[in-house]
Amino acid sequence: MIVPLEHILLLAFILFLMGAVCALARRNLVMILLGLEVMLNAAGIAFVGASLRWMEMDGQAFVLFIMGVAAAEIAVGLALLVYCWRRSGSLDVNVFSRLKG
Amino acid sequence: MQANLSLLLALPLFGALVLALLGRRLSRPMVERLACAAIIAAFIAALTALAGAWGETRLVPLFPWFSAGGFSASMDVLYDPLSGIMAVMVTFVSAIIHIHSVGYMRGDESYARYFCYLNLFVFFMLVITLADNLAFLFLGWEGVGFCSYALIGFWFADAERTLAGRKAFVMTRIGDVGFLIAMALFFATLGTLSLSGIIASVSALSVGTATALGLLLLWAAVGKSAQLPLLVWLPDAMAGPTPVSALIHAATMVTAGVYLLMRLFPVLALSQAALAAVGAVGAVTALFASFSALGQRDIKRILAWSTISQVGYMFLGIAAGDLCGGMFHLLAHAFFKSLLFMGAGCVIQALHEEHDIFRMGSRVRTAMPPVFLLFFLGALALAAVPPASGYFSKGRILYATLSHGGGLFTLYWAMGSLAAILTALYTFRLVFVAFFGDPAFPPKTWDIEPLPRFMIHVLWPLGALALLAGGLNLPGNFSGAEWLSHALRTVPGADAEFHGVSELAVSLADAGFCAVGLFLAWMLYGPRTAPGRRGPADPERFAHRMLRSGFGLDALYRKTVLTPFLALSGFMRRVVDEGAVDAAFMSQGVLWARTSMAARRLATGRTSTYLLTFLLGLAAICAVLLAKGA
Amino acid sequence: MNAFPLLSTLIFLPLLGALATVLLSRSPALCRAAALGTALAELLLAACAIPLAADPGTILAENAAWIPSFGIRYALAMDGLSGLLVLMTAFLGVLAVLTSFKEITKRPGAYYAFLLAVETSACGVFLAKDLFLFYLFWEVQLVPMFFLIGVWGHEDRRKAALKFFLFSIAGGMLMLLAVIGAWLAQPEGARTFSLAALMAAPAAPHVQNWLFAAFFLAFAVKMPIVPVHTWLPDAHTQAPTAGSVILAGVLLKTGAYGLIRLAFPLFPDAAALSVPLLFVLGLAGLYHASLCALAQTDAKRLVAYSSVAHMALIVIGVAAWNAVSLSGAMLQMINHALTTGGLFIMIGMLSRRSGSRELASFGGVWKRSPVLGAFFLFFCMASAGLPGLNNFVSELLTLVGTWTGHPGVAAAAFAGAVLTLTYVLKLAQGTLFGTPAATQPEQWPDAEPLELCVLSPLAASILYLGFAPQAVLDMLRGPVSDFLPRIPQLFQ
Repeated sequence: MIVPLEHILLLAFILFLMGAVCALARRNLVMILLGLEVMLNAAGIAFVGASLRWMEMDGQAFVLFIMGVAAAEIAVGLALLVYCWRRSGSLDVNVFSRLKG
Repeated sequence: MQANLSLLLALPLFGALVLALLGRRLSRPMVERLACAAIIAAFIAALTALAGAWGETRLVPLFPWFSAGGFSASMDVLYDPLSGIMAVMVTFVSAIIHIHSVGYMRGDESYARYFCYLNLFVFFMLVITLADNLAFLFLGWEGVGFCSYALIGFWFADAERTLAGRKAFVMTRIGDVGFLIAMALFFATLGTLSLSGIIASVSALSVGTATALGLLLLWAAVGKSAQLPLLVWLPDAMAGPTPVSALIHAATMVTAGVYLLMRLFPVLALSQAALAAVGAVGAVTALFASFSALGQRDIKRILAWSTISQVGYMFLGIAAGDLCGGMFHLLAHAFFKSLLFMGAGCVIQALHEEHDIFRMGSRVRTAMPPVFLLFFLGALALAAVPPASGYFSKGRILYATLSHGGGLFTLYWAMGSLAAILTALYTFRLVFVAFFGDPAFPPKTWDIEPLPRFMIHVLWPLGALALLAGGLNLPGNFSGAEWLSHALRTVPGADAEFHGVSELAVSLADAGFCAVGLFLAWMLYGPRTAPGRRGPADPERFAHRMLRSGFGLDALYRKTVLTPFLALSGFMRRVVDEGAVDAAFMSQGVLWARTSMAARRLATGRTSTYLLTFLLGLAAICAVLLAKGA
Repeated sequence: MNAFPLLSTLIFLPLLGALATVLLSRSPALCRAAALGTALAELLLAACAIPLAADPGTILAENAAWIPSFGIRYALAMDGLSGLLVLMTAFLGVLAVLTSFKEITKRPGAYYAFLLAVETSACGVFLAKDLFLFYLFWEVQLVPMFFLIGVWGHEDRRKAALKFFLFSIAGGMLMLLAVIGAWLAQPEGARTFSLAALMAAPAAPHVQNWLFAAFFLAFAVKMPIVPVHTWLPDAHTQAPTAGSVILAGVLLKTGAYGLIRLAFPLFPDAAALSVPLLFVLGLAGLYHASLCALAQTDAKRLVAYSSVAHMALIVIGVAAWNAVSLSGAMLQMINHALTTGGLFIMIGMLSRRSGSRELASFGGVWKRSPVLGAFFLFFCMASAGLPGLNNFVSELLTLVGTWTGHPGVAAAAFAGAVLTLTYVLKLAQGTLFGTPAATQPEQWPDAEPLELCVLSPLAASILYLGFAPQAVLDMLRGPVSDFLPRIPQLFQ
């Protein structure tokens, strides 16, 4: 393996952080979903790196699962998003606060 | 025998059931005939039963009621001369009262309900009379209490009347607690509730237990028979229809307490203390109630107080060990007192619901001579004028009391004799004021409504008995055969002989007391006295107020028992139940609600807050894992 | 073992009926018919089971493995006591369905489903012979009752339903812990939830105390025993008539049943220790509830407190633990269900006419509807313990039995009879007599045929149990002689 594991993990961490900040800081639902996707992909990179480091294929298989789940998630998420848009005419996450205690 | 007794019990019950289920569908004559026929048939059954088992004691099983773990209550009949004679008396008086009621209730729409209750009452009274098992007896005991409640409040639209019924029911229930506890004590000590079983094994009771049982039974009898200290319900019970007062509150139910004590006399006889207590209750009540009767203006209330007083004599007779005398007076009293009540009922109805004797006067006598004559016969018996029945029956009790000996019983005799003077006085006060001279106060109306004749003439048998029932047990020195004493001699405890004092002397003294009372009545209230002078004394005078209110006993109970009881009840509800117990639980709920309100702030409703919390948690977990790894 | 699973059918038939009413919820008439049909079938089935349960020769039981790893079995059995209670449940079930015909118009499908579901859970409680199964049915009872009160109740229904639920669940949670505790207290490898096995080998005395306390609290809440009774007046007042009937007639009985069937025999040492406490609680309950009943102005609340007072007698009778008192206490369970059920049904009928449950809004009922008035007086007198009617028999047995060991307690309880009469007569006075209140509507029909169908069987059974209770007492003899020796400390 050419690239050391530490670098890959660092990249994954940075990507995860970016995703997290995006999900936390933005109020638009689309951007939050985007942030989530980035975080998922960061996890995927970490899996692939680890898989190469120990030469175990389980990690790569897991990435495939994550991709599948992410695709499903984005499908459901976007559907919800469209529904929310239709319902309230807004994608601002703070509008949807009916579960506030 | 079994068939006969079953019939005796079943007929009134059947009448009551039919009237309860179909009464509103049947025509009025049908209802009346059915009710009267049931009772008359029961009377015939009672007579044939008495004739068929003369002088014998029989235990007739009818129906096993319930039993569990050694406790057994069965509906058995103990048929002996005492219950036989009592059953004949009950059905006889009831039959006459039923027929009289047909006339008395002629204008009332609820005749079916009335006759249903009346039949049911007779059934329960016969249960008391015939029961062998105390639990079965209690069925009748409470049953008559219920019928009394329902009939006192018969005109239920008037809340006063139903409240009087309620009072009667609750007061007698206070006495019934004694009955219930006595039952438990009998079961615990003798293992049986059967009267015959109890009497057979009575020697197994210790004196202490017998005293306790005697006092408990006395307490029960005091409630039912309206004796001190539980007597305040009976004057109020006069709110019911007058035939009901005649049947329940004069002839039968109020004597049930006396009857109970007679049935269980062998238990009482074990304890001198219990007997002395019975005597004290009887003597004090007889005196107390005859004083109170003097202060009344309502004709029915006078009779009610006199009933209390006369039942007191019966208690006194039992205390002196004279069952026969007690029964004699019970029978005589049943005849003359029901007669007096129904006579009073005729007067009241003819005068358009006028109860005040000071608004009656000679117009009543001239308009209804037969009613006056009947009433007068009853009054003779009540005042114990020789040779009316009351003279012999009361005389027998006073004689037994005096010959019992001992300072206490001599005192009881003196009190009984004083009460006898007062009895003659208040009885003839009633007769003179209500039937002679001009009314002291103007009546509401001078109109006198004619009554159906049968309702008056059906009373003649009672009139004859009031006069002649002394013949049932004419003492030896009147060349009498003492029929009742012979009849009852097989009843446990009824074989007492009395010696020591001359019976003739006591009889003469009784006649003297009666004469004194009559003389006083003549002087104070006689027809020669001016209506103005014989009118009620100044109603505000202390003595008068005391007499009128029965020495303020009712007010005293209201003040010392009823009011605190209701206050306690309200306190328990508002302060203890709602204020303390419930509030304690509810405040816990409030505490939890407050806590959750505090926790609620954490739920901001902003997705980013949740996410941030989530990530921070994740970071914390990672940090812990890292620290562990290192 | 019977070839036909009679007991399981008894338990699950109402649930099937419940399913049917939900499916038929489009048509209220069909719902009612299905509910009535199920209830009647259940009654018929229970009546068929009674002779089998009464006969000591046949053992009516089912037993199958359920969760073997924890020693949990699906074990059912019916003896005289359970048989009578199941019969009573089925009987009251029919009456409850009938009383609801007029009263319930909102979502009848769900309503009858819940009503029938209560029957299932109560029958389960009465028949379970496995502690875990018992607990399951015990807790399941809450759910349908909660909705019956909370959805179909009167004005303050939500609060009452919540109160009912929280009180019951608090007791139930402790009982769950105790159920687990009883399981853990057994030696490893031989752990079971079978009641017979648990009774054969009671836990160590100090463990028993804790377990008994938890069980007792759960049953005390359900019975209810003062001072954990305060949910009951609210629940009764707010519940629909049928809910009150089922609550008083069936659910309260599960508490008393648990006390007799589980708490005492499972933990004999602790039970023997608790007798004085039970007497104190019983007497306090009798007097407290009677006095509170007297001070009520709401007719239904008054009856609810009278219910607490009558149940207190059961506590006393159980604590006295002898053949007479225990027979009385068991009989009282059935009698109380009938009389109190009758009073609740009547108040339901009257308040539907007058539009209020306040005593002040009645008055003169006898004048306006003599038939209803007569029935009402009849039930009142039964409640007051008039001899010849059912309550007298059980109360006399309970207290005479108590007297043989504890005369003081029995005497105090006998004196309570006066208090009973005072509040019963207040109820009768306020409703039946006097003049009709000005607020009463013009429309005031006397008893309708449907109402007579409800009242007549009740009155007949009250009269039957008053005059001929021996058949029932004979059925109870087996269970009594089975229970008594289980607590040698109390049973000489």
